[in-house]
Amino acid sequence: MRKSLFFWAAALVSVVAVACGGSDGSSEPTEQSTPTPVPTRASAPQISPDLQNGTPTDGSDTGPRSGGRFTLVYSDPPTLDPHLVVDGTSFGIVVELFSGLVSLDESLKIVPELAESFDVLEGGTVYEFKLRPNIRFSNGDPITAQDFKWSMERAARPETASAVAETYLGDIVGMKELINGDAGDASGIQVIDERTLRITIDAPKAYFLAKLTYPTAYVLNRENVESGGRSWTDDPVGTGAFTLAEYRIGQRIRLVRNENFWDRPAYLDEVLYNLSGGVSMAMYENDEIDITGVGLADLDRVNDPTEELNKDLVDTPAQFGVQYIGFNVAEPPFDDVKFRQALNLAVDKELISSQVFADLLEPAYGIIPPDFPGFNPDLEGLRYDLDRAKQLLSESRYADESSRPRIIVTVPGSGGSPGLDVEVIADMWRRDLGVTVEIQQVEWATYLQDLNRKRLQAWGGVAWQADYPDPQDFIDILFYSETQGNRGNYSNSTVDSLVEQARTEQDISKRVELYQEAERIIVDEAAWLPLWFDTDRKALLKQRVQDYRFTQIAIPKFKDVWVTDAQ
Amino acid sequence: MLAYMIRRLLWTPVLLAIVSMVVFVLGAYGPGDPVEVRLGQNYTPEAAERLREQLGLNDPIAVQWGRYVWSAIQLDFGESFVFQGRTVGEVLGPRLWVSAQLNIAAFLITVGFGLPLGFYTAKRQGTWLDPSIVLVTLALMALPVFIVAPFFIWLFALQLDWVPVSGWGGFFDRRIIMPAVTIGVPGIAVFTRLMRASTLDVLGQEYIRTARSKGLAETVVNYRHIARNALIPIMTIMGFTFAGLFGGALITELIYGIPGVARIALDSILARDFPIVTAFVLIGATMLVVGNLLIDFIYTVVDPRIRLQ
Repeated sequence: MRKSLFFWAAALVSVVAVACGGSDGSSEPTEQSTPTPVPTRASAPQISPDLQNGTPTDGSDTGPRSGGRFTLVYSDPPTLDPHLVVDGTSFGIVVELFSGLVSLDESLKIVPELAESFDVLEGGTVYEFKLRPNIRFSNGDPITAQDFKWSMERAARPETASAVAETYLGDIVGMKELINGDAGDASGIQVIDERTLRITIDAPKAYFLAKLTYPTAYVLNRENVESGGRSWTDDPVGTGAFTLAEYRIGQRIRLVRNENFWDRPAYLDEVLYNLSGGVSMAMYENDEIDITGVGLADLDRVNDPTEELNKDLVDTPAQFGVQYIGFNVAEPPFDDVKFRQALNLAVDKELISSQVFADLLEPAYGIIPPDFPGFNPDLEGLRYDLDRAKQLLSESRYADESSRPRIIVTVPGSGGSPGLDVEVIADMWRRDLGVTVEIQQVEWATYLQDLNRKRLQAWGGVAWQADYPDPQDFIDILFYSETQGNRGNYSNSTVDSLVEQARTEQDISKRVELYQEAERIIVDEAAWLPLWFDTDRKALLKQRVQDYRFTQIAIPKFKDVWVTDAQ
Repeated sequence: MLAYMIRRLLWTPVLLAIVSMVVFVLGAYGPGDPVEVRLGQNYTPEAAERLREQLGLNDPIAVQWGRYVWSAIQLDFGESFVFQGRTVGEVLGPRLWVSAQLNIAAFLITVGFGLPLGFYTAKRQGTWLDPSIVLVTLALMALPVFIVAPFFIWLFALQLDWVPVSGWGGFFDRRIIMPAVTIGVPGIAVFTRLMRASTLDVLGQEYIRTARSKGLAETVVNYRHIARNALIPIMTIMGFTFAGLFGGALITELIYGIPGVARIALDSILARDFPIVTAFVLIGATMLVVGNLLIDFIYTVVDPRIRLQ
């Protein structure tokens, strides 16, 4: 194999990025230390078409075969307890080990998992699930409706201290009382018989089923959890395609095939997560791992068709997220809608994307990303129009520079670049509008605290990533006037009433219309400056690996993967 | 002497309590909240409150500190805020052990090359070898790790295929070679120069002339009289090196994929994982105290002049 010195630059860039707290400005801070295309929770999937047809095999034998190992670089997951998961790193492993009633397929459709079917009754407030026959935990114990009731209640109990139980299970009748410690069980979860579970929610909510795909609703083995104490996840009994064979903190996680999996057992003998880091590009070239992301620094090299590595190059689908600069509309000068609109109109995102980011980022003019449920391809948004920007600025209350309050855009980081996009935008504002802004960089924990207290006047360097495939996760959570996620004090009574209607609207196309209408108002009022949607990224995948699915949202990846050199 | 040692040892817990208090105060009054870092961008205030209560972060700082000291006396250093359900020992222990092995290997390289080179250059003082060797060691010291490490990977792993690119297999695994050399080589200059200066100092002493005039063989003079005496002042520096036994080398760990302690220390600070941060600081303080004490003790053993005073 021809090897080159070019990976140096990548090594340096990735190490420096980590040393500086993981924020390189062009992407949101994540826990990933090395550029792997693997997890961040919730981003969008769809396999690129060329992958679906399968990459060329060695020749002879074409069918999947059992055996072999897949190795990747990963980080230590904060938890393997499904009910406690709040981060993408934990999520990515938990979905291989555990599962719930329903799950998402690659096209983000909700499909039965451990339930073989379900009925929606009573105008959308009652869900009746029928479990598959003869399903078993990884240790051979049968899985019953009782296990599901116990598990969901366990997720909600105060002693479990799940941070997201209320978000994902709070719609179920009796759950709020259970979470607050006022009840012993949730009356909304009823065991009809061994295989039938009935869940009653407090109002017809179309997005409820999507929430059940989150690990908070996964089934656990009661005996395993109760006998294992605080460290039960060291030896977990699960329902996924794999089971945990070994976990050495900071070193490796090894998963092996679960022979009691309800569906066809996985092909791979084991999946090895290397947790100790390293330069993943070099490890890939040296055949130590099977997959790696490709950073900007290596892009030219791997795109070169004469390079050996070029044969391994694959596209990974865009993530479901949006990067933006947020405005606190309660603070001058952002309390003037014309001023906010002027700032939006003065930014030439097409130019920045092509000149600064090699078209790796797609300019965003709305909130909901492409391919995500509710995406509006016809949304006009506030596109670059400098004349109109100047006019709006002159009509605004802050037209006069001498009386304009000083503007600070805060970004997270620890001393590196605040992000090329933010720097260029600040420059465009200064040059074309005469609006001067300061960029202030603060370390991540401090940033988060100020953001949650709504103390930031304007903020950048972050992205919002979807947690479940429903537009409610963007529009309601970020812009409804009463939600915690609304960091900019945005409040519009029309948007509020549209969002309230959408929550209980059963007709899917009507719901989408409601959210799109709300989105249009939010965008036109310039509550944010939406910046970028992700576009496809590049990764390298060994050609021995077949049927590896790049997904936009954390769903089990390895159950269909096989390797051509097994045994 | 014994009484002095015991008195100093008894002060150690008090010192550690004060150090831990400083960490607590900085954590409580500095910006950032471990609960918010753990929950990220999307959570309810009630959930944050419950978690804060569960972690004991709502109690007054004095109560939190008192509780910590009380448990620490019973050798219970609490659970990590980030790695849920894992004790500080479980999270830090294996990483400390990895860093210690790597540091020992690096130390052997530093001392193994540094001391003989220093001795040799002192003996060759005035020849071209003396400044040349010092210059080379200083040049090696000046090379930054983020240049050296990727170069080593390129040369030894990708081109020559002698060792894997990264990973960890323990002290006797060949994967320790590149990181140990990367950490150990820059220190050679320090020990070369110290040993050189110390040796020159000893060479000028009367007792060396006496030894030679007794007609002792040059090797005996070299080893028994010069080298052994020249090593005495160097022990102080070795004591400080010992104090850094459980310290990590961040960039080296990141590039070579070593599951050492530096990365977790940095991540814990960024995530406000106070139990881990506090434990890490306490380990550093303990090592410093013990290292110094050890050196003082060894001095009295190897150097009769000190014992007499």
